[in-house]
Amino acid sequence: MTDRHDPLLKVDGLSLSYQTRLGEVQAVRNVSFELARGSALGLVGESGCGKTSIANCLMRLLPDNARLSAGRVLLDGQDILPLAEEDMRLLRWRRISMVFQAAMNVLDPVYRVGRQIIEAIETHGVESTDTAARERVARLFRMVGLDPQLMERYPHEFSGGMRQRAVIAMALSCDPDLMIADEPITALDVIVQDRILRELKAIQQQLDMSIIYISHDIAVVAEVTDVVGVMYAGRLVEMGDTSDVFRAPAHPYTAALMSSFPSVSGERRPLTGLPGEPPNLSDLPQGCPFHPRCAYATDVCRTQYPPQARYGSHWAVCWHPLDATMAVQS
Amino acid sequence: MTGYLVRRTGQMVLTLFLIITFTFFLVQAQPGDYASFYVLNPDLPPEVKDQIRAAFGLDKPAWQQYLIHLKNTFTGNLGVSFGNFPRPVLDVLVERVPRTLVLFLTATAVSFYIGFFLGKAMAWRRGGLFEYATTISGALLFTAFTPAFGLMMIWAFAFKLGWFPVGKFLDPLVWRGADVSANYVFGNMLLSAAAFIAFALLVMLCLKRFGRRVPSVAAFPIVLGGALIIVAAWALSGIGGLALDIVKHMVLPVATLTLISFAGTMLLTRNSMLETIREDYVMAARAKGLPDKLVRDRHAARNAMLPIVTSLVYSLIFAIDGSVIIESVFSWPGTGLTLLQAVRSEDLPLVMGAMLFIGMLSLLAHVIVDVLYVYLDPRIRYQ
Ligand SMILES: Nc1ncnc2c1ncn2[C@@H]1O[C@H](COP(=O)(O)OP(=O)(O)OP(=O)(O)O)[C@@H](O)[C@H]1O
Ligand code: SF4
Ligand SMILES: [Mg+2]
Repeated sequence: MTDRHDPLLKVDGLSLSYQTRLGEVQAVRNVSFELARGSALGLVGESGCGKTSIANCLMRLLPDNARLSAGRVLLDGQDILPLAEEDMRLLRWRRISMVFQAAMNVLDPVYRVGRQIIEAIETHGVESTDTAARERVARLFRMVGLDPQLMERYPHEFSGGMRQRAVIAMALSCDPDLMIADEPITALDVIVQDRILRELKAIQQQLDMSIIYISHDIAVVAEVTDVVGVMYAGRLVEMGDTSDVFRAPAHPYTAALMSSFPSVSGERRPLTGLPGEPPNLSDLPQGCPFHPRCAYATDVCRTQYPPQARYGSHWAVCWHPLDATMAVQS
Repeated sequence: MTGYLVRRTGQMVLTLFLIITFTFFLVQAQPGDYASFYVLNPDLPPEVKDQIRAAFGLDKPAWQQYLIHLKNTFTGNLGVSFGNFPRPVLDVLVERVPRTLVLFLTATAVSFYIGFFLGKAMAWRRGGLFEYATTISGALLFTAFTPAFGLMMIWAFAFKLGWFPVGKFLDPLVWRGADVSANYVFGNMLLSAAAFIAFALLVMLCLKRFGRRVPSVAAFPIVLGGALIIVAAWALSGIGGLALDIVKHMVLPVATLTLISFAGTMLLTRNSMLETIREDYVMAARAKGLPDKLVRDRHAARNAMLPIVTSLVYSLIFAIDGSVIIESVFSWPGTGLTLLQAVRSEDLPLVMGAMLFIGMLSLLAHVIVDVLYVYLDPRIRYQ
């Protein structure tokens, strides 16, 4: 039916805004990308650029003030945005699951951790008996490096790292086709981060699951993803094979992000930090939204939105790409 | 857990001791004493008065009286009621306290259930006429002046509509010629109610333990069946009519109390829910694909319940204190009315006894809610 080579997920012209008292916040603008089965996609960008908003669109878990103004989200060719709520409900977790950004409180304090995972397994009928469901949870616990006996504990008895692992186990519990990991390790210390990251990558390959990895930490994204999208002010500004993008970034923003983080290649550079502030999403500057902070900005950048152009395996939206010699007209 | 219970019991005994001490010195500070009931009679010669005072032990110094009082209270000797002479105070109270308890426990349970149910629905479907109407009527009922509201209920449902009797515990016409006492019937009613509650809890516990896959609605017919059996047993017992009479008399005061107190629970539940709805675990529950109703009940409402249970202790104590008002409005012969009558007739032993019991009930409410809380919140369970 579905070809192995068809993309699992195709996001097409997605736009999302939030109505607020201060006006309309356009958090996601015309975002399009594809995700192949079994591959890992990274979304990077500064805080507030719309990464979590995209994830919430994919789960269709939007706050009341959110409005999807345009776009399609095709899962195996089927647009999930017009689905009835009940059909969407059955699809959640079974097809697309999520490790939430604020994972510390994702576990309900009044139930045992194992119980909360079994709850998802039961809802989707993934296992037919209680015993089988328990065995599955035990297996998942082992997979993420937790003692299966911890199933019977309550969330407050877990450390931050343990909770994070439990939440990952929960996200894996219904064999989803796609797992969205929204800053899954940011709250943890570096050693635990590294370990969980490695496990996550191994699990992803083992289960042949697609993953969308959201982070503002470029080094982490470089380590675990095949494809990366760089977001600025609600838009994708550069996208392509992770190694190519980070080896030869075309968009000045990508380059700035890279220099503001410890080097991808391992050598530790001081954090320079990105100069300037991210723009106000309800009142974007004309032309290229990055121009007030861009060292390469010219008059055309200030007045006209740049075209999208392809550079080898990646594309970027910029008037003056950094390595223009690589440019191949699209 | 055991340590906790031991500590809690210790605290309770200490508080009880303080209550006894406080009521004793409160009475001491009043003009007149135990003997006033008798010695104020101007016909008595002075030496008889002295004899009476000595008989009460009032010739002894205050600290000695206090110690005797303490010893008597702890050994269950609360003296003899003047107003119900020669019945001991304890005997009177053992008769009256259950009547108050039944009234208030029923009202609290019903109002908690209704308030919680409406509150969570309000928070879940924000906006619209339903929320508006319930908030307004809730606020009105919450601030209603209890005696006026009680009288209004009597006027509407007893006088105008004639659906229920006007106050009192029973109708003497129904009971004329009955060969059992009201206390006997009432006692058996209490036993039936306790048996029913135990049965219902057991059914729910079993369902929870033995089959998560059995929907919880399955409990409903079983529990209903149990209720029917109990009702049938009463109908066949020959004293069913008498029990029905008592139930009829209970409806109006229970309804009034419920209406007054459900609004508080409802508004509190709504606020508490509005907070838990924003919690990550509620979002996660939805993300897991749980049906809307389960997200609401199992996660949002379950957590919203915690602060409500804390407030339950206050509303219970408030209710027990309020028994004086409600019971006088409805002439319900419970602890509150007994206390009021005892104060009016200077029946001091009964006053002290009633106050002691009201204090003990408040303490008990505290402990029960504490234990409930510990059961509901695992974060506290293991501290
Ligand atoms: N419910 C909401 N109402 C109004 N504005 C919102 C809402 N949720 C998010 N926003 C705004 O939308 C923008 C994008 O938010 P989003 O959470 O998607 O960013 P993010 O890239 O995930 O950031 P972070 O790295 O901090 O998690 C931000 O400017 C944010 O303030
Ligand atoms: S379009 Fe101009 S301002 Fe925008 S990133 Fe490119 S060079 Fe900078
Ligand atoms: Mg985010």
